[in-house]
Amino acid sequence: MTRKQRTLADVEVGQAVDPVKYPLPVYRLVMAAGGTRDFNSIHHNSEYAQSTGAPDMYAATSFLLGAWERAIREFIGPAGTIRSIKGFRMSRFNLVGTTLVVRGEVTSVREEDGVGVVDLKVWSENAGGTTVGPGVAVVTVPVS
Amino acid sequence: MNTAGDWKAPWEALAEKVGTDLTNGALTAGADPIEASAVRRYLEPLEFDCPLHYDAEAARVYGHAGLTAPYTSVFTFTLPAMWEPGQQIFTSDDRNAQPANSPIDAGHLKVIPQATGLFVTDTEIDFFRPPQVGDHLSRRGSVLKSCVPKWTSVGRGAFITQESEVITESGEVIARIRNTVFVYEPVGPPPDKAGGAS
Repeated sequence: MTRKQRTLADVEVGQAVDPVKYPLPVYRLVMAAGGTRDFNSIHHNSEYAQSTGAPDMYAATSFLLGAWERAIREFIGPAGTIRSIKGFRMSRFNLVGTTLVVRGEVTSVREEDGVGVVDLKVWSENAGGTTVGPGVAVVTVPVS
Repeated sequence: MNTAGDWKAPWEALAEKVGTDLTNGALTAGADPIEASAVRRYLEPLEFDCPLHYDAEAARVYGHAGLTAPYTSVFTFTLPAMWEPGQQIFTSDDRNAQPANSPIDAGHLKVIPQATGLFVTDTEIDFFRPPQVGDHLSRRGSVLKSCVPKWTSVGRGAFITQESEVITESGEVIARIRNTVFVYEPVGPPPDKAGGAS
């Protein structure tokens, strides 16, 4: 991450968070299981996932949350903080063999107690439809 | 197996416990203190490039005591070990055999044996500070907020919302998590909805 640190003056309502694409081959889902320690078979075993009613194995909550955090972090930079994530609702599966895209948009900008506070609308898309969210991440950036 | 008429009963019984801590305030400790290598493994599948998580000097420049872990890794770093000395968790060579126990099983929510399915549907988290390398995190409590029976496209069960805290060894609360999970019998959609609805 080498981009310039964003400050409050660099943020405005309607501004987009750079989209982040996550192709989802089996390999990545297996790495995600190891990295997050979520070894639920629905996330790395097609046959097992189908026995639970899902069409195929699908990305886990921990991975999907991390996918949001990476997109958020790339927007706020290393000096930023995350205060909360709300509305993280998984309405559709993010299946193996598809590409997940995390997007966001600034909905509120304000200064509170010497800190820049920003509300970001964040959501995940897959095959053109929303699969997670839209939710709200409340984050901070330096005032200057 | 419950019949179509009474499948809601065990979930409605659970709903009567709304407001109570289903684990009586129990503390579930993560397997280990957070280590830099575990943070790296969390970053890898995400291709998550932020120096706070792999460059201690850079993290200090930004006011941290050392490496931090991503905020969302609080779920990972509060999971107990998969295996402990003396345990035998793999007892079958069936292709899809499951371990005898799993820290993500959430067994206290599976109020009937047939409820073998579980997935998370909603998450809300308040973060008070990022986890740091060296923190040994625990999850405290599972306060039942709601329990709504529903028969969806994958089966019949209930949407269960619970709240817990993430705390350090010193008792500092660093995050508060509100999760909704769907716990269900994987029997497919209701008979009157061939295509199902979720």
